[in-house]
Amino acid sequence: MLLLAARFPVPPSSFPQQRQSWKPPCLMQSLLLLTLFGLMMQICRADDGQFPEVTWHGLLDLRYQHSDAAPGELENGLGKLRAGGERDRWRVNEAAATLQVRLDWDSMLNATVKYADRQSTPLDLTEAYLAYRPVGAAGWRLAGRLGMFFPPISLENTGTAWSSPYTLSSSTINAWVSEELRTFGGELRVDYQTEAGDKLGVFGAGLANNDTAGLMLAWRGWSLHDFESTLTGRLRLPEGIAIPALFPKQAKASQTFVEVDGRPGFYAGIAAERPQRYTLRALYYDNNADPAALSAGQYGWHTRFWSLGAKAELPWETTLISQAMTGRTSMGELLGDLRAVDVGFWSASWLLSRPLGDGRFSVRYERFGSDERDYLPQDRNGEHGQAWTVNYNLTFAQHHQLNVEFSRIFSARPARQERGEAAYQEDTLWQVAYRLFF
Amino acid sequence: MASRLPAVFLTAWAAVAPAAELAGKALAGGRPLADLVVAAQALDAAGRVKAPPAPAAMALDQKSREFVPHVLAVRSGTPVYFPNSDAIKHHVYSFSAAKRFEIKLYSGVPREPVRFDQPGIVALGCNIHDWMLGYVYVSDADYLAVSDAEGRWTLDLPEGRYRLSFWHPDAAEQTAEQIVSVPAGELAVTVELKARFPTGKPPASLQNQGYGDGF
Repeated sequence: MLLLAARFPVPPSSFPQQRQSWKPPCLMQSLLLLTLFGLMMQICRADDGQFPEVTWHGLLDLRYQHSDAAPGELENGLGKLRAGGERDRWRVNEAAATLQVRLDWDSMLNATVKYADRQSTPLDLTEAYLAYRPVGAAGWRLAGRLGMFFPPISLENTGTAWSSPYTLSSSTINAWVSEELRTFGGELRVDYQTEAGDKLGVFGAGLANNDTAGLMLAWRGWSLHDFESTLTGRLRLPEGIAIPALFPKQAKASQTFVEVDGRPGFYAGIAAERPQRYTLRALYYDNNADPAALSAGQYGWHTRFWSLGAKAELPWETTLISQAMTGRTSMGELLGDLRAVDVGFWSASWLLSRPLGDGRFSVRYERFGSDERDYLPQDRNGEHGQAWTVNYNLTFAQHHQLNVEFSRIFSARPARQERGEAAYQEDTLWQVAYRLFF
Repeated sequence: MASRLPAVFLTAWAAVAPAAELAGKALAGGRPLADLVVAAQALDAAGRVKAPPAPAAMALDQKSREFVPHVLAVRSGTPVYFPNSDAIKHHVYSFSAAKRFEIKLYSGVPREPVRFDQPGIVALGCNIHDWMLGYVYVSDADYLAVSDAEGRWTLDLPEGRYRLSFWHPDAAEQTAEQIVSVPAGELAVTVELKARFPTGKPPASLQNQGYGDGF
């Protein structure tokens, strides 16, 4: 199995080379993918009258938010929420639909299209992939995914369209994963399953289009939200800090999923599972970006990290989910042994959840931080902080879910002083959500 | 079509006229316990002679994305049909040493049953719906019963001495064997369950159905 692990990260040989001639793909790419789906469905229909089997799942999320917080990403701020500046908001937070097409007994196409509040393209893809998961003889199971999908980091976001059954806001780690990470490529996984259902496996993937991953962690820092970036998505950069002066070539918004240098990245890891008892996952990710690369206003950010996740079923019907991440992101040409931006980042979270009455009660605590070692001290990217999130949700008739959630985030980030704000801030967010699942 | 199956398969059992009845109640933590397997092995020649000679075919259904029943007890050599009463497909498999198989279930009843020849416990899963979990208890014992939702079980057997063994999928420790002489009064069997066990039931919210993070 170790041999397999070593061989795993097989980068696809022809990644898109999009150096200077990059054009906004938006609608074209989406349409192409959907057409491909349509074609594959046609082919399979011809083969077997019983396949494809088409199923739909979806989510509608209506939200009331009340915040006492600094401006967030949507307001080009350095606050810890996506939007902190407005105190009271009613809105359609998200509407998503997942199409699942079972092509045969072992393969399935999966695509999720989403609308989210102030998403840069109103309707866009968050995932689109072909999954292959056959029944393995004698306990060995080979599985794979091909397309655009979330790397297997979060242990909380297991619901329709990457929603979490525990909280509305994702943890700092999972919020960053949803914002800046997506596998564009292929993933293979080999598991050995015992008679009792225990699984032990290795997995690995080759990926592209993740070259700007790390930018938000360096320039804005960790944050709590539940916004998943989409295929053609862009994220707003903080204003009022040194970015435009020091990096005049940087575009006004970060293009989330773009290939800047034509170099594929990878991740590889191990997973163990005892059904209904525990799940363990560890992976190493390296986007292998060239930190000196720049294309159409987007820099390459060489981001690599370790991710650890554990989920355990404890006595008293309590579930524990803990995740940790530590890594580095580097950008800019070498000057001596330093780069323009070189930020180490880490975060860890602990979530406890249990049924309470007819609903589910969850509480999560997390700590996070970053530090830097680069030649631009005037671009200050260090921070540290901690956050509490408490959620109670009630599910009616399998479809309807009412959530009440409270989050409080304490953080210190010296760069805020350049915006005339205090380095230390406390952000508070109350949320009430009605979610419909179908 | 699936609903007609039990009537057909149970005919063979009715042909063997029972002389006595051994009944009992399964309990866990003071509450009735379903799915407890009770296997009776005859210790006298009388009991063995009247044991049902040929195993009849049985059925284990897939309904609302669950195995129904959750536990099926069969004598070695019994063919078991796996009908699919859902409108969606199931892909049933077992990695258990007593019987390895996989069966692709369209709607309706598959033409071929699965024959369970070897005694042992066969854990069933569905490749499409991970939470689906079921068991086939395959035994050489002469008489078998499974407790119902009220914890009740009944064995129709001739008078005589029997060795009773018990099995439950979620038992922390399986209940010890007992020797009983029939006729006997109602037997109470208490089982201590594991602190945490898989139920095999579909998730209570549609949020968790059909995604599971894709990995």
